[in-house]
Amino acid sequence: METTLIEKLPEVTWVGSLIKAVLILAIISALAGFGTFIERKVLAFMQRRLGPMHVGYYGLLQIAADGIKLFTKEDIIPQNANKLIFMIAPVITAATAFIALAAVPVFPDFTIPSWIPLLGDTFVPSIASDLNIGILFVLGMMAAGLYGPLLAGMSQANKWGIIGAARTAVQFLSYEVVTGLSILAPIMLVGSLSFIDFNTYQAGGIGDWLIWKQPVAFVLFLIAGFAETNRTPFDLLEHEAEVVSGYATEYSGMRWGMFFIGEYANMITVSVIASIVFLGGYDVASMFGWFFIMAKIALFFFLMLWVRAAWPHVRPDQLMWLCWKVLMPLAVVNILITALVMMV
Amino acid sequence: MSEVQTVDNMVTVTIDGTEFKAKEGEYILNAARANGIFIPAICYLTRCSPTLACRICLVEADGKQVYACNAKVKEGMEITVDTPNILEERRAIMEVYDVNHPLQCGVCDKSGECELQNYTLHLGVDSQSYMIPDTKREATNWSSVLHYDPGLCIVCERCTTVCKDMIGDSALTTVKRGGAELDKSYKESMPKDAYSMWNKLQKSVIAPSNGTGETNCSDCGECAAVCPVGALVSRDFVYTSNAWDLKRVPAVSAHSSDGFQIYYEVKPTSIEDRTEKIYRVTNEWNYVSLDGAARFAYDFQNTTATKDTKAFNSAIEAFKKAETIRFNSMITNEEALMLQTLKEKMGIKLYNPEVKAFQTFLNHYEAASGNSLWTTDTDAIMKKSDFVISIGCALRNDAPGMKYAFNNVQKLNKGAGLYFHPVGDTLIPTFGKSVEVFNHKVGLEEAALYLVLDLFADKEKLPSDVKEYLESFKKSSTKTIKEKEVKTVKEMVLNEETGKEEEVSKKVTEMIEKEIEVTTNGLVDLLGGDASTFDATFEKMMKKKESFSMMLGEDLYYHEKAENIAKLAALVEATCNIDIVMTPPKSNALGVALICELDEAQSGYTVGYNENGDFRLSALGTGDLDMPAMNQQEGTLCSITKRVLPTNAAVEYHGYELNDLMKVLVGAPELTIDWTEKLPTDRGFKAMAFDDLPNSFENDGRDNRGYKLETSNVKTALPEVEKCDEDAVLEGEIAYRCNPARQFNDFTDKSHEIFETFSLYASKEKAESLGSRVEVIFDNGSITLDVVADEKMTGDIVKVPDFKASEGVYDLFGASRYKTVTLRKVQ
Amino acid sequence: MGLEQFKNRNVGTQNYTMVDAGHSPKGVLCQFKQVVKRTFKGELFVGLWVTMKAMLKALFANDMHTVKYPFEKLPISPRYRAIHDMLRLLESGHYRCIGCGLCEKICISNCITMDTRYDENQRKEVSEYTINFGRCIFCGYCAEVCPELAIVHGSRYENASEQRAGFSLFEDMLTPIDKLNLQQEYSGFGSVSPNADDNIKQTPLAY
Repeated sequence: METTLIEKLPEVTWVGSLIKAVLILAIISALAGFGTFIERKVLAFMQRRLGPMHVGYYGLLQIAADGIKLFTKEDIIPQNANKLIFMIAPVITAATAFIALAAVPVFPDFTIPSWIPLLGDTFVPSIASDLNIGILFVLGMMAAGLYGPLLAGMSQANKWGIIGAARTAVQFLSYEVVTGLSILAPIMLVGSLSFIDFNTYQAGGIGDWLIWKQPVAFVLFLIAGFAETNRTPFDLLEHEAEVVSGYATEYSGMRWGMFFIGEYANMITVSVIASIVFLGGYDVASMFGWFFIMAKIALFFFLMLWVRAAWPHVRPDQLMWLCWKVLMPLAVVNILITALVMMV
Repeated sequence: MSEVQTVDNMVTVTIDGTEFKAKEGEYILNAARANGIFIPAICYLTRCSPTLACRICLVEADGKQVYACNAKVKEGMEITVDTPNILEERRAIMEVYDVNHPLQCGVCDKSGECELQNYTLHLGVDSQSYMIPDTKREATNWSSVLHYDPGLCIVCERCTTVCKDMIGDSALTTVKRGGAELDKSYKESMPKDAYSMWNKLQKSVIAPSNGTGETNCSDCGECAAVCPVGALVSRDFVYTSNAWDLKRVPAVSAHSSDGFQIYYEVKPTSIEDRTEKIYRVTNEWNYVSLDGAARFAYDFQNTTATKDTKAFNSAIEAFKKAETIRFNSMITNEEALMLQTLKEKMGIKLYNPEVKAFQTFLNHYEAASGNSLWTTDTDAIMKKSDFVISIGCALRNDAPGMKYAFNNVQKLNKGAGLYFHPVGDTLIPTFGKSVEVFNHKVGLEEAALYLVLDLFADKEKLPSDVKEYLESFKKSSTKTIKEKEVKTVKEMVLNEETGKEEEVSKKVTEMIEKEIEVTTNGLVDLLGGDASTFDATFEKMMKKKESFSMMLGEDLYYHEKAENIAKLAALVEATCNIDIVMTPPKSNALGVALICELDEAQSGYTVGYNENGDFRLSALGTGDLDMPAMNQQEGTLCSITKRVLPTNAAVEYHGYELNDLMKVLVGAPELTIDWTEKLPTDRGFKAMAFDDLPNSFENDGRDNRGYKLETSNVKTALPEVEKCDEDAVLEGEIAYRCNPARQFNDFTDKSHEIFETFSLYASKEKAESLGSRVEVIFDNGSITLDVVADEKMTGDIVKVPDFKASEGVYDLFGASRYKTVTLRKVQ
Repeated sequence: MGLEQFKNRNVGTQNYTMVDAGHSPKGVLCQFKQVVKRTFKGELFVGLWVTMKAMLKALFANDMHTVKYPFEKLPISPRYRAIHDMLRLLESGHYRCIGCGLCEKICISNCITMDTRYDENQRKEVSEYTINFGRCIFCGYCAEVCPELAIVHGSRYENASEQRAGFSLFEDMLTPIDKLNLQQEYSGFGSVSPNADDNIKQTPLAY
């Protein structure tokens, strides 16, 4: 494996991009599945339980069992549902989640060894598509993901679904504002929308990390990220105690599984963005650069689980109050202060 | 009669401050029980003599301690049931009973019905003060049905008492058992009665009275019924079920005509087989005593019956072409009425050899006496009679109820009895000292009735020709007897003081020979008695006797001169102070006789109901169409006590009933018991629905089951009777149609606890001479039977049983119970 | 003990202790102050720390509470009423049941049935015995009423079955004769109390 500096990048062929895309799809969906396993385990430990133990060593193959189960379950579509939309909605969630990952550097770039037939010497880049508006694209795609739950909830002819859909619209739209505003300050500092530029900006070591320059933006982004990915304490869309399963009430089998994969893919995306934007990203020069970014992503992922184990839900009205009366003003203030500092 | 309580013989007694009326001469205990007052008593049985074994019924009467079972009420008597002293005695007695009584209540068959347990709790015995080393007592079987565990026995002697006073077998007695001696110190420290009770209890145990380990009795099982503890149990029942698991079905014994009250006690057969079966039969033993058939012949139900439509349809066809229905008396009143309906509507003949003769006899009796039925019953006899006469009835075999009454009169009413029967029986004389047995020649039953007339009739009332006829038997003869005669002899004696001779009268006894005129009664000689001694014996028997009863049996119905006998019976009733009771031959013979018009003979195509026939309805499960057995159906039966008694179904029945056939043939109500209220009221029945019939005994023992048949009495002139036909006497080898005790019909034979076989029964000597198997040859056929020795029979007459309908014994005997036969040894 | 305290349902007058729930802030400023106070007090981090501590203890201090049930079982109380056992006499190995039928009688769900007979040794023998566990409600009356401590409640509590009626026969519940040495004396429902001797009166014995 060889890591190259941006300047020395060989030409990215369409074959390389395709391979990368397939890799992201395969590995992230596997990771999403693995994420469920990790989540169950971590929550279990925090509750002094063992979690899944019996399928495979230490329950490692539980994900395989769950996958088989989800795949083989009967595909039920409610009688009064809008069938087409009902069937498409989960795909939207999963698709937007993976599309967002297209602009995120996920794994190191590498060249396929020349002795492999057909694909030999193909360069596989770290980013499937290094857009110059990377962050904007990712945020945009994640925002588009709101159509998944929204359409799902509205198409299924179920009152819990409708409520879930309404909450989706309210929550995702509101927090989109916070996400955008919070990340605007770092973008102003870096002056680029490319993740590579963010990485480069912070390449100087821990001291250069944006989290020190933009602590408020970091906290705001994190909170908004929780809301965007529908995680506790903001998982109002499918809050069991209130709306049964919200937008996913009527879903089962693989369709429901796609929501799940989308959610976990989003979690990974948010973790990756947070790592790159605020925690210095990957160290291109170091052999362990990729290891470190993995550790950072894992840290954020773990944080999400940890929070779920520790904190209670908020009420929808508290959620709105928090968004519009606290977070959004704070973000605006943060941008103003950043701008002022930059001007001065 | 039992129902009548005249006011004049009632006395007033006060028990615990409350006034009660009681019958004069009644025991305090019975008076209390009749009025619902509880006095504890273990050893006393209502219809038997007081045993005084338990002493727990101690009460205070007019300031004196007396035993309530043994002291009679007097006018104005003040009775206190509990005084401190009596309570102390009772508690001591109960403690003594509990000494060494094994605490194996867990497995005891009494399981909660135990009187020892009840009284121990009732008297609050919560600690024990007495002790004595125990003696090992082994459990034994006394007979094929009796199991005795002396370890549990409290020697209350109820078994021996009931066997002696009621059953008459006297098969049990108390014997010494060699227990340890009581500690001398107890004599001072213990209450008096408790000590003497214990002293006796410690020394005795119950055993068969014949000295062997086995009872030689009629196996009625009444001893087991009255046992207050689990010492005496039916062998078949031992450890098979707890009493509390059994469901009681009130019913009437189906076999003899006594109408004994019974409970069938049912429970599921086993864990695998949940159909209910009868585990045992129990009875209200204070009010009724069962015979062996009533108690042990219970599992005769038709278990294999199903609703076989094919058989049902062929039965319909059979009835349509039938000329005769042949049946027996094992049938309820309702079924009898159905058959009678068939006769009326379809013109089918009814043929019933068991009942026909009885019905004819009843009709003759009614014509001669004006009474529609006999005038007394076995219960009334036991309550008040003190002189009973039995004619033409094999008491031990035919009529257990009559045997109990005959015996009970001797034992309890200090009575006397005359027993006329051709077959010698060693048991009857043991009933009492005042029982005279006449083993007359077969056919002389008329002579027996004439003797009764001669002995008891008010000579003024007798028609002159009868009087003359009776006189013709009297023979005068002179007899020389030695007699003491006292003569006064005058003699001259010298007076020493005065020196004068004086005439002095002196009495001198001297024996002189004297010729006297003696009248002997030829009838007594004719009947096989000893005329020379009979007068004196009879005079002794008649001492203090007030109430006389006569029992007439089946022999008379089948007598050649049955009509004359019925008239004689009527004459006896009219001219003597004697009440009459007749035994219906088999279970519901009386009901059949009252309801059905029976025909003389069968002819043509015959439907047999539990009998032979071209098409056979059978409750035995062997016929062409199954019928319910008597323990599988509801209905009513008529008994010797002239009652219509309700009986209930104890076990399931899945087949067709006679009523189902009736529905198709002539139309019928929904249920068999819907016929109950249609029973003919002109024959004494009441238009009462089955479900309205009561079924209980009153506290004072009065029978309140079902209802009493209405009897009518028309004043009639004295019947004209014929003279005794001495030519009717049978000579030679004679067979007597008579079942062994406990066997009455195919159903008793089917029951697994009845072991008496279908054999020829003969006295021991006769049996020895006959060998092991004989062919009994009648004029119209023969039957080959094993020979069984009946130790209680004497004489040469042999008994041929008739309880198997398929053997056709009735046809062999024809219109008689006695036949001259040829007995041929068979190897 | 009287039942007054149970019968008095007037809850308003009882001595409830009110929890100090604080007081709601009044006015915008107060509310803002409360938010700031709560935000910077770090209550949320306390929660995070508690769960983290629990996880660390569970993983490294052997404080895991899970029992891997079918492979591990918790010990149950001797008074627990599970599937019945039939005990044997330790001396002779003969079963203790004398066939008295008390368990059958007392059973309120009517699930015990037994057949008995008179055996060759003149004893009452249980020829068949069955409990329908589909009906049994495990009330323990049978064990309590048993005079011989023969039927007791054992420790087999897994009574799921494919059918509603599940019958256990005598042999199924009886201690296997080769495991007689492992038979535990029952100390649960219906066993003899330790001070039983003090509660009975002595019967004099003449031996």
